[in-house]
Amino acid sequence: MFNSPAFRKKTVPLFAMISPVTAWLVLLIAAPLVYILIISFCTTNESHNIVFHFTLRNYARLFDPTILGIYTNSLIVAVLTTVVCILIAYPFGYIMASTSPFKKTLMMIFLMLPFWTNSLIRLYSWRVLLGKNGYINDFLIYIGLIDAPIEMMFTRGAVILGMVYTLLPFMVLPVYTVIDKLDNSLIEASKDLGAGFWQTFRNITLPLTVPGIFAGSIMVFIPALGYFFVSDLMGGGNNQIIGNVISRQFKEAYNWPFGAALSIMLIVITLICVKLYTRSGGKLDELGTV
Amino acid sequence: MKKVFLSCLILAAIVSVFSFTACSKSGKNGEVNLFIWTEYIPDSVIKEFEKETGIKVNMATYSSNEDLLAKVKGSNSGIYDIVVPSDYMVKMMIEENLLEAIDAKSLENFKNIDPAYTNRTFDPGNKFSVPYMAGVAALAVNKSKVSEKITSFSQLFNPKYENSVEVLDDYRAVIGAVAKSLGYSFNTTNDAQLDKIDAAVQALKPNIKLRDSDSPKTAMLNGETIIGYMWNAEIAISIQEKPEEIEIVFPQEGCYLFIDNLAVLKGAKNLENAKKFISFILRPEISKKISEEYPYTNPNKAAVALLPDSYKNNPASNVPSEVFEKGEFIKDIGSKVERYDLIWTKFTK
Repeated sequence: MFNSPAFRKKTVPLFAMISPVTAWLVLLIAAPLVYILIISFCTTNESHNIVFHFTLRNYARLFDPTILGIYTNSLIVAVLTTVVCILIAYPFGYIMASTSPFKKTLMMIFLMLPFWTNSLIRLYSWRVLLGKNGYINDFLIYIGLIDAPIEMMFTRGAVILGMVYTLLPFMVLPVYTVIDKLDNSLIEASKDLGAGFWQTFRNITLPLTVPGIFAGSIMVFIPALGYFFVSDLMGGGNNQIIGNVISRQFKEAYNWPFGAALSIMLIVITLICVKLYTRSGGKLDELGTV
Repeated sequence: MKKVFLSCLILAAIVSVFSFTACSKSGKNGEVNLFIWTEYIPDSVIKEFEKETGIKVNMATYSSNEDLLAKVKGSNSGIYDIVVPSDYMVKMMIEENLLEAIDAKSLENFKNIDPAYTNRTFDPGNKFSVPYMAGVAALAVNKSKVSEKITSFSQLFNPKYENSVEVLDDYRAVIGAVAKSLGYSFNTTNDAQLDKIDAAVQALKPNIKLRDSDSPKTAMLNGETIIGYMWNAEIAISIQEKPEEIEIVFPQEGCYLFIDNLAVLKGAKNLENAKKFISFILRPEISKKISEEYPYTNPNKAAVALLPDSYKNNPASNVPSEVFEKGEFIKDIGSKVERYDLIWTKFTK
């Protein structure tokens, strides 16, 4: 069999082509996931080493009111982040799709340019703007709008602002793609039939661009559950999300099994979101092509 | 065009290979691999050691004791020779059989270390470790905005400091301070005490504006917070910048102490060079150079004698030794870490 021409001509090149990808997926994605799954059923001993002794306790601990509270907080932050992203990204994508190619490129550059700077530095600069003695407060006091500085940093609002700021392009790109692909003759037809802007928007544009909003929502919502550094920097550690708890289990708390159980829970939530997305007609390809 | 691209690629490959070999090239008297905290040893000190001994120093850095432990356990022995674990981590590493017994007392220049820092509980008799730098977590107080005299952790609970206190993002330091304010130990594992600590930690919450370990002085200096629980080196820098505003307070209950120590890993390939390096660091004039760059508390009393009055008379950098006698080290609390973590999770929600 190994000497047959068909094997040499077809199977060998095929293996040569796919094995690097397969090796990549197995070694760097599947193996760590399996490891996380296994240790989530383990315990730790007094000197904090992982012991392979089957237990469901790590999963039972997920239902501790404190942990559930953190999951709730994470979900609130992620949902609000997604909503704000949609509200900003949709008009942005709409304008971008209907403008001249030159302006389109310009808008794309302005959207992507900040990404060439490290996100931690960009988040730190918000502190300079929003701080108690930051520029925004100074300005508002200067023009006499307020008497005392407003507390803007280290609040839930600041966390959401940081999340939106970090994740906005992931919403703009898929939304822009669908609006750009929209068949203009449909809009023209609607206008010919006497519909105004809002009627056309409600009945034609929005329904046809919903897949883009869905795809963007998935790509904003899921990272928003886990971006613990945003909550650290903008929330000052006051508004912790589930990512903070997970990261602590793998570091100071020496509790890898519990951290693994928390991660598995997060993966399950993610899978549910993706399932809802595909159920509602979304295509997995569209999550990857933007 | 293709050719140009190809030759660029080849050139890049050659350069990278060359620089790799340049990095790992050892000096004429071999090499030593140092694994140390970021921003903890000046380059000039490393250069001087290389010049004097002909031993090449390869340095890698970490930013927490837990990172250090994970990296040491996760890599082959012999990658690192010298590490700089803190007190409790020395103990954990000894228990896990990761450190080489170098009998530090017998090293040249060990006598320069102040006895207040040697022979402590984490390494009795200093069989494995040599104090490198030390410090305490204390309170920075903005005296222009805080009218009363702060002397104790218990004052942090006062409702008039609502949303204006900052603490380290370090669960042991903060829960320990609350334990101290109730009269317990930093390392209590008593459940009844932990219940009370839990309630007190949650009661402190409305006063906490920020938890930050990376650069706690920033919020203090720009007026975001008026009392800050942070490392003394950060307070020393804050005082330097705003001497008329910031002062240091060592709470009367006793402070969280740390001593970072030089130690050699088991299986180190360059044991003798590592010992030479440690002896070199212990020299007063070398240790003085390190303190000039990084204002931690220097346990090397011969080096302190050489330092200027601005260091010696500043309690935030040269922490008084009675603070060190009264304070407590963090110890491993075994499975109670889960309880501490839960208290902290509730606190940060």
